[in-house]
Amino acid sequence: MAIKLPETDVVVVGLGAAGGVAVLPLAWAGLKVIGLEAGTWMNPGQDYKPDEIHNNVRSLVTTGNKVANEVPTFRTAPDHVARQQPRHPMMNAVGGTSIHYHAQSWRLNPWDFKVKSATVQRYGASYLPEGSTVEDWPLRYEDLEPFYDHIEYEVGVSGKAGNIKGKIDPVGNIFEGPRQREYPMPPLRSCEFVDHMTQAARALGYHPYRGPAAINSQPYQGRPGCAFHGWCDRGGCHIRAKSSTDVTTIPRAVSTGNLRVVDNANVRRIETDNTGKATGVTYLRDGKEYFQPARAVLLGTYAYENIRLLLLSQSSFHPNGLGNNRGQVGKHHFGHWDIQAGVAVSALFPFDLNIWYGAIAQGVMVDDWADDNFDHKGLGFIGGSSMHAYTEKHPIAAAAMGTFGKVPKRWGSEWKRFIAENAGRWTTAYIQTNTLPYSNTWADLDPNVRDPFGDPVLRITSGPKVNEPKAATFTSGKMIEWFRAAGATEIVGGQGGTGPVLSTHAHGGTRMGVNPATSVTDPFGFVHDCPNLGVIGGSVMCTAGARNPTQTIQALAWRTAEQLVRTLRHA
Amino acid sequence: MNKKSGSNLPAGGSVNRGMNRRELLETGIKAGAVALIPLVDSGCTTEAPPPPVATPLGADHDRTLAAAADRILPADELGPGASAAGVVHYINRSLAEWNQAELPMLRQGLADINEVAIARHSYEFAALTAEQQDLILTELETGRLDKVANGQLLFNRLLRLTLEGMFSDPYYGGNAGYAGWDLIGYPGAVLASTPDMQKMRARLPMLHTSGHGAEHDGH
Repeated sequence: MAIKLPETDVVVVGLGAAGGVAVLPLAWAGLKVIGLEAGTWMNPGQDYKPDEIHNNVRSLVTTGNKVANEVPTFRTAPDHVARQQPRHPMMNAVGGTSIHYHAQSWRLNPWDFKVKSATVQRYGASYLPEGSTVEDWPLRYEDLEPFYDHIEYEVGVSGKAGNIKGKIDPVGNIFEGPRQREYPMPPLRSCEFVDHMTQAARALGYHPYRGPAAINSQPYQGRPGCAFHGWCDRGGCHIRAKSSTDVTTIPRAVSTGNLRVVDNANVRRIETDNTGKATGVTYLRDGKEYFQPARAVLLGTYAYENIRLLLLSQSSFHPNGLGNNRGQVGKHHFGHWDIQAGVAVSALFPFDLNIWYGAIAQGVMVDDWADDNFDHKGLGFIGGSSMHAYTEKHPIAAAAMGTFGKVPKRWGSEWKRFIAENAGRWTTAYIQTNTLPYSNTWADLDPNVRDPFGDPVLRITSGPKVNEPKAATFTSGKMIEWFRAAGATEIVGGQGGTGPVLSTHAHGGTRMGVNPATSVTDPFGFVHDCPNLGVIGGSVMCTAGARNPTQTIQALAWRTAEQLVRTLRHA
Repeated sequence: MNKKSGSNLPAGGSVNRGMNRRELLETGIKAGAVALIPLVDSGCTTEAPPPPVATPLGADHDRTLAAAADRILPADELGPGASAAGVVHYINRSLAEWNQAELPMLRQGLADINEVAIARHSYEFAALTAEQQDLILTELETGRLDKVANGQLLFNRLLRLTLEGMFSDPYYGGNAGYAGWDLIGYPGAVLASTPDMQKMRARLPMLHTSGHGAEHDGH
């Protein structure tokens, strides 16, 4: 029998990139908030190391006891048996994946919010990819702009504006939507490689700009500027310069006295009453089961666990899983078409690049071939990709380079001479492609694989796509041109990819929408037939932009939390 | 003894300056006792070195592994080969700690390789000529060695683990004397970099710094 705890205003499940942001507006509004987190606090002084074995081989900053037992299974067709994947870096810790992510922190392009209607309007309905279930988002860029602004200022984002209230500045991204003001901090320090790639892009007529980063470029809100030590990828920041939620919004929410963080809490179910409303959540901690009653619940775990927890939380009102009476939970789910889909262009230069240090977010971006920033007539696809050249190369990864066809073997004396000369002379571009939901791609509960509690893990079914690999092939060609213009002598890649297996940019599955027949949550993120349950995280997103999703996830989380404040005040 | 970063290197970058490290390792290699040497610096560190590990593979398999790793990454005019750089110690440490699940596969695989060597040449793998060893490894890599189950997987793991040992932080037992990092021009693990440490078109000065032993005081 679960131990019943005193009721609170809001219980937030998961204190990562999304939940860790949502707690701040709730706490500022004076609501009493319990934050349940499966992991615990990380100690930047002890837990983060400038060490490739620690971060990238042993994955010591990307995992946790809970997620290790619930990695989804994957298959490419419904008649295949899905296989459980070895690992996924959805992390259990206060701060979650915002601790170890690359902290590239973008707003989506205004086009992303209206892919369907804008495509029909510009090119006609025949340009919508076959089999796609894409719908316009139930909000516009303009609706989210104030919340993007909150994230940039309250979490802390470095960058250069390209469009302030319609005034274009070509030093920033000329393709971005209008913003109300400049970033709170200038872009991260540049370096010779970034400057070199910037000049090459300009020579091609592109519009390169320094990508925004949720990393301090100078002291901000009591945290220091980035030290560029080159261990940002899958590692935490030893000096708290990366704006992960455990060093930004969560401590500030705690300091109001209104947020209580409960760590090592494994949430098992969201409970509902016979009218379908959420009554609270049941969780395990230190072997004991607790019921935490709440006036409202915000579900803020990784996209996979958001979907799974809804499907597992069955009741008489929600017999097929919470919010799933129309079979929409898990639908419109997809992984981002990025390097995990097999899209990569690598280049070898005839001189030392020395990109060992820096940070992945210390890069230069080109958006000329992303989104709907160019005319797609006759191209046979919609969308496109951003292209990003960046720094931070770890020594094992550098030595494990491909041989660009220059030596016959990947071992032995000749190979050793090759890597001795070239391990510091190559790089790979990060190409991220606009991605849509499709009817052949979804998530549900696996019938065979269970976690240690006997609950099914999530199963991803992901069928073939046509639009995304076409777009990625096109933009990879542009990347090849960019590397060539920069003086690369050998270039490999250029394929459009076959699709992600599991994704660190998982989108959809609890899609937002106006129509309950094609979505799980309303335009503010609340489950259609469980209105005091909000969902925050990548699972509510309707499409993927040509860029990392985290700032959009955080802006949406802030917006959902503010809406909840209004609702609870009126109640 | 605490060592604040930045005392003698640019940008507060020093983590663990290996003043005596090369001497220590060279002495150890000569004495054949590298595995027992604590593989961090002899002083000025705030982090206790990992305790020495017994070799989970055992001496016979270690010999085969060393011979194979030395064909993957041979000694030459550019520097020491894999085994002299401590790759066998690294792999044993990984198998004793975070990579235990792979021990049975590697043990079996190394035994199989040795059996092939004995069947073909009447000598164990480590005693064969480089050409004989290369032929066996090439057949393993291309899946043509019938006697070895999952030969391609085994080869890929040997290759990967050799790379890890050669180019990882010396804290873990490989990359002895920073031989791996010297080979590819990686200056060393630091807590901060300066713009000069991101300059292109020439090798950077080697720092020979480990990522362990730093005071990660996190401000």
